[in-house]
Amino acid sequence: MRTSARGALSRERDVREAYAAHSGELYGFAVRSLGDSGLAEEAVQETFVRAWRAGDRFDPRIGSLRTWLFAILRNVVIDLGRARSVRPGVAEGGVEPSVEPLEQALLSWQVEEAMRRLGEDHRRVLVETYYRGRPYAEVAEELGVPEGTIKSRVYYGLRALRVVLEEMGYED
Amino acid sequence: MKTRNDCREWRESLGAYALGQLQADERAGLEAHLDGCARCRAELALLEPVAGMLPHADPARIEAPAPQPPPELGARIVATIEGERQQGETRRRRRLFGGLALGAATAAAVTAALLLFVFGGGDSSPRQEVEFAGLPAGITIDATLEPHSYGTEIHMYVHGVPSGTLCRVWLRGKNGASYPAGTFRYRWGDDSDAVLSSALDLSRTRAVVVDTGKRTFVAPVDSPVAALNANQEEAT
Repeated sequence: MRTSARGALSRERDVREAYAAHSGELYGFAVRSLGDSGLAEEAVQETFVRAWRAGDRFDPRIGSLRTWLFAILRNVVIDLGRARSVRPGVAEGGVEPSVEPLEQALLSWQVEEAMRRLGEDHRRVLVETYYRGRPYAEVAEELGVPEGTIKSRVYYGLRALRVVLEEMGYED
Repeated sequence: MKTRNDCREWRESLGAYALGQLQADERAGLEAHLDGCARCRAELALLEPVAGMLPHADPARIEAPAPQPPPELGARIVATIEGERQQGETRRRRRLFGGLALGAATAAAVTAALLLFVFGGGDSSPRQEVEFAGLPAGITIDATLEPHSYGTEIHMYVHGVPSGTLCRVWLRGKNGASYPAGTFRYRWGDDSDAVLSSALDLSRTRAVVVDTGKRTFVAPVDSPVAALNANQEEAT
């Protein structure tokens, strides 16, 4: 008996499992790209319904279930964005949103999500020294550690960030 | 000669270097080391793309908790899918047992068109549905056969036999020979198809046989030409 042919989401149980594993991330990206929690819920729901309908097409040899769900969500977000742009008073001039901002939103969300998954020590030094541009000495004093520790945490933090991004599907 | 420990100190400066945070003198020292150390250069090559991605993030969002979907969303999705699945089953039953009622045909066509629209391309393989006639009351069995180069793919749908029943499936060929397609277990509440496959070519298949342990059910398979016609009818 082949289990892969009928896809990963053909049963209610599979949908529940996939939802438990991936809904948080999918929702996070949907909120990030649509900027609205109601639309984001709609997008996540539509993603799982489409995935279930197309369960036959999922091929684990090509990519992970997560990657597949994100590809569907991306299309759903584009569709929702288009639907929103033709509603009166939302987007003047009928300009269709281009794909670029969505790719940008996906990249931003990936980096933000990966940063959130870092350990507190690593995230803290990257936020303080890189995003806030604070000197190492000042951050070291605030945290009560030697300056050299800040430097090594920046290094190990970037390495950890790379590992997290790779887990999320990033490739060079 | 360099030792591992020599390198370690340089290596721990690579993060600061990749982010442009080193002072000029430290930077010059590290660059001199990099010129002679392939390992540190390789390490830097791993960090630089990651450093290059940092500007895309918004620090305020990093520090805010990740938004969580409302707790009832999962149940809502399962309910939506369940509703759609039941509608699909009803249509399937009508097609199998009630002929092509106009309403069902229209609904099927609309669904097919929507699926084509959403997923950009339909499945053109000539699937064939077979009917198990004369089943005991309360038991439903049907199968869809799909031709492949390796043989035949069989989607089995069973309903109404005791939960846990082990079902064995065969295809029967022209000369009466049996080709095993495998086994599956029927569970209450799990109405999904079991997918099996057999080496027998669909064009040579004359019957599908399901053995539930207590009883054996046989469904004849029509000739492929008839199946093709039925498919075209359904598509229009």
